[in-house]
Amino acid sequence: MATFDPCAWCEEILQPYLDRHLTERERAEAQSHIDQCGYCAKRYRFESGLRQFVRQAAIEEMDPALKERLAALRTPLL
Amino acid sequence: MGETPDTEGRQLAVEARDRVRFEEEALQLADQVYRVARRLVHSKEEAEDLMQETYARAFRSWRSYTPGTNLRAWLLRILTNLNIDRGRRQQRAPDTTHLEESDYFLYNRIQGDASESLDEERVLERLSQDDIVDALAAVPHDFRDVIVLVDIGDFSYQEAAQILDIPVGTVMSRLHRGRRILKRHLAEATVGDGD
Repeated sequence: MATFDPCAWCEEILQPYLDRHLTERERAEAQSHIDQCGYCAKRYRFESGLRQFVRQAAIEEMDPALKERLAALRTPLL
Repeated sequence: MGETPDTEGRQLAVEARDRVRFEEEALQLADQVYRVARRLVHSKEEAEDLMQETYARAFRSWRSYTPGTNLRAWLLRILTNLNIDRGRRQQRAPDTTHLEESDYFLYNRIQGDASESLDEERVLERLSQDDIVDALAAVPHDFRDVIVLVDIGDFSYQEAAQILDIPVGTVMSRLHRGRRILKRHLAEATVGDGD
């Protein structure tokens, strides 16, 4: 049987962990490994920071003039 | 006599009220819908055209929306369908090279490139907002659509699957591969132009 490598497993479930798409048991197992392993803890922090950074950088607000044009598409009231 | 026009009048009034309510709710979501739309396409102009087409279609077909269901997801389903119909098919096929990299690839690469050991915050400081926007725009659209819906639109895997009309498993695999492609582009942007 192959040796279980907790860091490899941790990397595999990194994305579903950050997306909160793990079962309660998987999440608890991941959390207990991260709490003990500096390598994985550091990388989880990096990935979660990166995701936050991408989200903030990618947000561009709508031009108010567009909102007026959208409002003008409404069905006129008789 | 007189009863039929009365009933009809009441029905028309009810329908007008429902329609106005629908239109108001849809307009209130426009800011959130736009944030997603903006990253699905390459330019502000394209995003604005797409928003106008989407809202025109939504206001025309408001009766097919089921009240109480997720209106933001309903609007984005119209929007992503319109976007796909707009003939973006001529875009290049998804780039499948270099996908063997690990999830820790970007971190390891930036870390390995630095003379001293960097902490996570310092690593992120090396990325500019333009780096992020360009890297995201360079991700092939099948992968980018999923990243944008989940990471910027805050949709669940299930909602993204319904919006794009693909299985949940496909959402997950595209998300996974898409994020790796994104990180590869970011790595190129930050450390690739060193020499």
